[in-house]
Amino acid sequence: MLKYLRLHKIFIKQYLKKLMEYKVDFLLGAIGFLLEQAVQIFCLGIIFSTIPALCYAKDGVVLDSWSFNEVLFIYGFSLIPKGIDHLFFDNLWSLGYWLVDRGDFDKYLTRPINPWFYVLCEKFCVDAMGEIIVGVALIIYSTLSMPADVSGAINWWRVLPVIAVMPFAIMIFTSVKTGTAAIAFWTKRSGHITHMCYMTNDFAKYPAKIYNGFIKTAITYILPFALTAYYPAIFILRGEAVWSLPVTVGVSVLLFIISQFIWKKGVSAYESAGS
Amino acid sequence: MNNDVMIQVTNLKKEFRKTIKEPGLKGSFKALFKPEYETVKAVDDISFDVKRGEIIGFIGPNGAGKSTVIKMLTGILTPTSGECRIDGKIPTENRKDYVKEIGVVFGQRTQLWWDLALRETYMVLKEIYEIPEEDYNERMAFLNEVLELDDFITSPVRTLSLGQRMRADIAASLLHNPKVLFLDEPTIGLDVVVKDNIRKAIQKISEESGTTVILTTHDLEDIELLCKRIVMIDKGKKVFDGELSELRRRYGQMRELGFELKNSQDFSKLSYKEDFSFSDDDLSVEQSGSNIKVRFNSDVVTVENMLSYTLSRVHVKDINVKDADIEEIIRRLYLGGGEQDETTASHL
Repeated sequence: MLKYLRLHKIFIKQYLKKLMEYKVDFLLGAIGFLLEQAVQIFCLGIIFSTIPALCYAKDGVVLDSWSFNEVLFIYGFSLIPKGIDHLFFDNLWSLGYWLVDRGDFDKYLTRPINPWFYVLCEKFCVDAMGEIIVGVALIIYSTLSMPADVSGAINWWRVLPVIAVMPFAIMIFTSVKTGTAAIAFWTKRSGHITHMCYMTNDFAKYPAKIYNGFIKTAITYILPFALTAYYPAIFILRGEAVWSLPVTVGVSVLLFIISQFIWKKGVSAYESAGS
Repeated sequence: MNNDVMIQVTNLKKEFRKTIKEPGLKGSFKALFKPEYETVKAVDDISFDVKRGEIIGFIGPNGAGKSTVIKMLTGILTPTSGECRIDGKIPTENRKDYVKEIGVVFGQRTQLWWDLALRETYMVLKEIYEIPEEDYNERMAFLNEVLELDDFITSPVRTLSLGQRMRADIAASLLHNPKVLFLDEPTIGLDVVVKDNIRKAIQKISEESGTTVILTTHDLEDIELLCKRIVMIDKGKKVFDGELSELRRRYGQMRELGFELKNSQDFSKLSYKEDFSFSDDDLSVEQSGSNIKVRFNSDVVTVENMLSYTLSRVHVKDINVKDADIEEIIRRLYLGGGEQDETTASHL
């Protein structure tokens, strides 16, 4: 384990050195990301400039509602576990797009380290720093913009259990990517499957209650991105959804085991490519 | 188990399931919705042993299953059945321990960190293989000497020439002092001088570190210069396993008679094929100006008879007889294998 931590540090160092070789590429990537986030937040702003709050209603009775600032808080929070996974474990994407298809995965199997770990940490995606920074900025901004009685009612001690559960939330992203990317071992390519599953996290940036039963269940238990965004965020804001914390741990561990199982089966089915 | 045996391959098999596709877009659609499969035996029951310190040539036409065997031996592919052991270890049981014992170079694919200075790759490998500082320095010095890395060790890998890259790749695979080195086409695409340097380096490494080497190549000069023993496979089956000289004895009674005519018009006086009734396989004659090359099977007609026949008909300035080179033998062996596609022959 220690060896792996040390190796990860070395890989990150190497990656940063590489980054210095391609400064323009990095800058463009960072600018592109900031623009993307700006556009999304701008859209949220437009929507909320015409409506006072997001509501969840049944038979004309408003059961729950979220102010613009609350939605912004949830949105910002969702970027943090996502961004951390993105920062450290982004290389899984390459597996489904070309590593398996072109036979480049060979390299990872001829080294005396766990090939999954090797793939994971070979790339260090600095662009993701943008995601994390925007996330934190949104949390701070939205909290400051809330009416004093709302933000004053927040019990900030609730942040601690959320931080404790954070690694499990991050693992949800990593496991979903691992499991879906590993499909490539049979199909040669699976990038689009990974993309499809990964993108459902967009649902999780908004209150899970606003969705119908199917989507709600899907983003809570199947591709449980709501556990990485809405539930912990609303727990911090209102102390709701306490149940989601242990559920996150359980679901995350289960997902990790399943994804590792698919991965292991996949590696032994790996066919390489002709050379 | 015999202590001298480094690699032990027993009844190794690998089957791939392939989707049968009819040609065209329509065929692709059909394969998508109603796939039909066929099982392809890429490697069919291969067994062989390699002794400690041996350099063996692993050869065969394209698509014979060479790479598949190598990939099973290096732990990349899981065998359908059978097993391979290196120093008693099995890759599917403990891959991590297994790959510590081996070094791999795929000629067509680099394992160096593309964007970084070459030295960085070695530093990372040092950590991956947990090589102690002292061993690393010693090893690096040795590899430096043999492969002359000093000139480009600080250059980014992407700027290296193919020859430099190959040397760098070989060094990378040997840093942890593996017991077995797999070289998959290490001289592909290189010029003659570089090829020669690399061969010498491989030889020296094998001598000084006692590394067992498995070499696949299409360049038969590699084999002639480096390997005493060859294993040849075709269509997934082993077709020859033995000393190079044995292969020569078994398949290679071919000799090459070369001479220069005093008068190039005299060529018409020679009709080996008719006069000795050679079959097509046993004879080939090449003429370029007054230089003639006759390849023939000395089992059918002795060298003596060929010489006296030639000298009694024409006047020559110069004449010599050579043993067939391995290339010729293998060409005959490949062709003897049956329906080979033409690309194989032209590759040689």
